[in-house]
Amino acid sequence: MIVVLAIDALEHTLVEEFNCKNLMQEFYGKTDISEFSEPRTMVLWSSFMNGKNMEEEVMALGDEGMWHTKFDIKNTFFDQFENPKIIDLPGFNYIREQHDKERILLKQFFDAQSEDEKKSIRTEYNNHAFEHHRRIKQEFSDALNEDHDFLLGYFSVADVIGHLNFGNRAMMKMIYKDMDEIAETIKNNHIVLSDHGMEKIGMFGDHSNYGFWSSSVKDLGNPKITDFAEIIKDKQ
Amino acid sequence: MSVEYGEIKIPKDLIAKIEERVKETEFESVDEYATFVLEEVVKDDDEDIEEVFSEEDEEKVKERLRALGYLD
Repeated sequence: MIVVLAIDALEHTLVEEFNCKNLMQEFYGKTDISEFSEPRTMVLWSSFMNGKNMEEEVMALGDEGMWHTKFDIKNTFFDQFENPKIIDLPGFNYIREQHDKERILLKQFFDAQSEDEKKSIRTEYNNHAFEHHRRIKQEFSDALNEDHDFLLGYFSVADVIGHLNFGNRAMMKMIYKDMDEIAETIKNNHIVLSDHGMEKIGMFGDHSNYGFWSSSVKDLGNPKITDFAEIIKDKQ
Repeated sequence: MSVEYGEIKIPKDLIAKIEERVKETEFESVDEYATFVLEEVVKDDDEDIEEVFSEEDEEKVKERLRALGYLD
């Protein structure tokens, strides 16, 4: 089984600072996403699975329509596998109600006028993200013991929580350590990949203009996110 | 090697506050949360600074989240 641990907004700097050895594996580095006008989640994961830059196509759907992007498996490199399992990937089988609610709560947070209201919305937002994280973690753990030739688990927690809490270092460290423990449970050769990283704006988090990769097999240098379709197919 | 545990005394109202906080986190118990926090304090006593809210930061991040498609 080939495994991809896909972590939204996993920040290279924090992986090193928090010494997440299982996320780093033997070889790790940054991905080059400089060909994209902005580090947009939906554009980057769509480009990853298609093996080519999908920015124009995804952006043509508009700011709201973009979030409903859904590529057929035949257009993706997942089709090369006989029994692939993909969990919650943007642009493929992303759980729409979950992620729509995240954006609704994010908007409510910024629209709120009082600090008490913001605090209450942030608590609801965080709980919503952590509950989802626990479900995905269980599904991924179960899938590792199933009969798949390809498994991709997408974890959104570092991105979702990071947008409103990136300045809370203890909370981010807890998330990174949890992701590191998840990586430790993968016994197969695997790739850890993020779409982009995250940088601090006070207590908040913004997308950084590079992603993260790691591999136990070889040094991939400074790959583009669109290179991974071929890299993974070659591992078959 | 198995970890040996001991007991410490902390005020009950603090335990109640931690119980509330634990509900918002990945931690499964007050013991687990308190252990994590104390380990962090002992290990990195000068690094875990929590940033405070500022309207200027909020405006900056709102602008960025609009550019990324998260906000209208």
